[in-house]
Amino acid sequence: MNYPTLLIAVLLGTGSLTAKPDEPIEIHKPTTFLVPVSISGFEGEIESVLAFDLSVLGMEITSPDKAAYLVSGSQDGRLQGSLAAAGTVHPLWARAYAGGAIRAQAHAFANDIVKEIRGTAPIFQTRIAFRLQEGNTTEIAVSDFDGYNAAVLTHDGTLVDGPCWLPGGRGLLYTSWKNGGEEILEHNLSSGERRVFAGYPGANLSPEVSPDGQKVAMILSRSGSPNLWVCNLDGSGLQQLTRTREEDSGPSWSPDSREICFVCRSGRAELQKVSASGGPARAVRVAGIYGNLTSPDWSPDGKWLAFTSGSGSFTICVAPAEGGDAQKLVAGEDPCWAPNSRTIVFCRRVSNKRILCLLDVPTKRVKDVRQISGSCSEPSWAR
Amino acid sequence: MKKANLIGTFLLSMALAASVTGCKHHPPMTTPIPDDTGGPPKPATSGSASPDNGGVTSAPAPVNGEPIALGNGDYAPLFSGAHDEDAEKFKADTVYFDFDSATIKESEGAKLQDLANYFKDNKKVEGLIIAGNADVRGTEKYNLSLGERRALAAREYLANLGVDPHRLKTVTYGASRPIAQGHDESAYKENRRDDFVLVTPK
Repeated sequence: MNYPTLLIAVLLGTGSLTAKPDEPIEIHKPTTFLVPVSISGFEGEIESVLAFDLSVLGMEITSPDKAAYLVSGSQDGRLQGSLAAAGTVHPLWARAYAGGAIRAQAHAFANDIVKEIRGTAPIFQTRIAFRLQEGNTTEIAVSDFDGYNAAVLTHDGTLVDGPCWLPGGRGLLYTSWKNGGEEILEHNLSSGERRVFAGYPGANLSPEVSPDGQKVAMILSRSGSPNLWVCNLDGSGLQQLTRTREEDSGPSWSPDSREICFVCRSGRAELQKVSASGGPARAVRVAGIYGNLTSPDWSPDGKWLAFTSGSGSFTICVAPAEGGDAQKLVAGEDPCWAPNSRTIVFCRRVSNKRILCLLDVPTKRVKDVRQISGSCSEPSWAR
Repeated sequence: MKKANLIGTFLLSMALAASVTGCKHHPPMTTPIPDDTGGPPKPATSGSASPDNGGVTSAPAPVNGEPIALGNGDYAPLFSGAHDEDAEKFKADTVYFDFDSATIKESEGAKLQDLANYFKDNKKVEGLIIAGNADVRGTEKYNLSLGERRALAAREYLANLGVDPHRLKTVTYGASRPIAQGHDESAYKENRRDDFVLVTPK
């Protein structure tokens, strides 16, 4: 790779930014290789945040003489940092970060570095929600994307199923058993208030809010089978989308909020798509993977479906959203894309518990998030 | 002019209303099917909850994979009122399933017959919670739907044996309520099951 060329591309890209403010800067650089980066001038928490964040996006922390990019700076009450391409005299830029927690400053710096090197949307100041199991009970928890600042939201002492975010991260929908059977609750994160979003007879499972915030897909069994239904965010306009005898599960929206990918068990579990306004469902043809395909998640850029293959031992896979050859990536289950359509949070089973991990899809690099007590599963990325 | 239009519209509406009302002179051609496509869940009606309302249970046997409707919103009120739950009474009738299947096996039929007999002999003032479960070899959302399908399979079976389906409430626990903790088939087969909980009004 020719780094001076890259530098020129970056400068040109920045120059044309005013012409097309909505277009991402197009920088042609390899995405599937680890990029060696050095970090100097920092220590303690800032250094560890930078190293973790850059590793999550497929960078290899190395010494300055082996690095393609050099991250340097100082920490003296506020964080000052710069990024330079190897072999160049002047840094690409130098910036100062003030205010907020020291971790937040380091994450902001890392976001700027990743934007420069990978050209992807920032993710280091986003949140995830997940299910936390301790003993026989499960609760809903949220944390930073890296597992820090975790907080348990529910204290019902019963069961919940994995959460999904409302637009803007203002709340969550999740299934709760606190009133006996399954209900879908809406949990307002600023007020802490909860209300029953769906409490129909039979199962009320697996809510997923559409990216435009207008609709909710969910699995209801009120018709006699666990089928896919959709309604408006205020609960009105309930519509049944599938009428299969066998059960459907795990819906995920297309980024334009027009289609829903879900799992239909017809002999084996396969991925299907259906229009959110109704009509026939059709199979997503995935080549190269056999067995049950479950828990699909549609990437925010619309290009990919991540899903879980297998029964008992699970593999995270990715296939083109329109179907095609699937890639097996790593052992794990329940993938959920980050806003950058590159990173995936998923869970894997280790010695009778589950932990959350971050996967850099192009490089297949996996980093475990910070461990908390209990078993963590069914992550959902606020996006 | 505008006023005249409004009056005209009003008269037309009246005429339409009269013609709609007039429809009741005609004999009904088809059995009305309850709307199952919208609105919040409705409270149970006293009619469907009546212990004497045995006619409701004439659900047809599943044909060509057609699901039996749950009966939109009319679980018997005892489930939402004060009640006792007995998870021990029908422990011997726990129904087990093959891997990744929600089909009631022939070997499990006698257990469901046993349950159906109980409800025939007990004046049907009680209800049953059917709790579907899965082993850990599925992802959680998949297991939740599979557990619900297993509970519904037993519900259909009991309805076909004459039990009022309004007294049969389904719940799924996915893989969150295992009986056996191991990671081999001997544990898995214990966990692929429907549990039956007797519900008695207080």
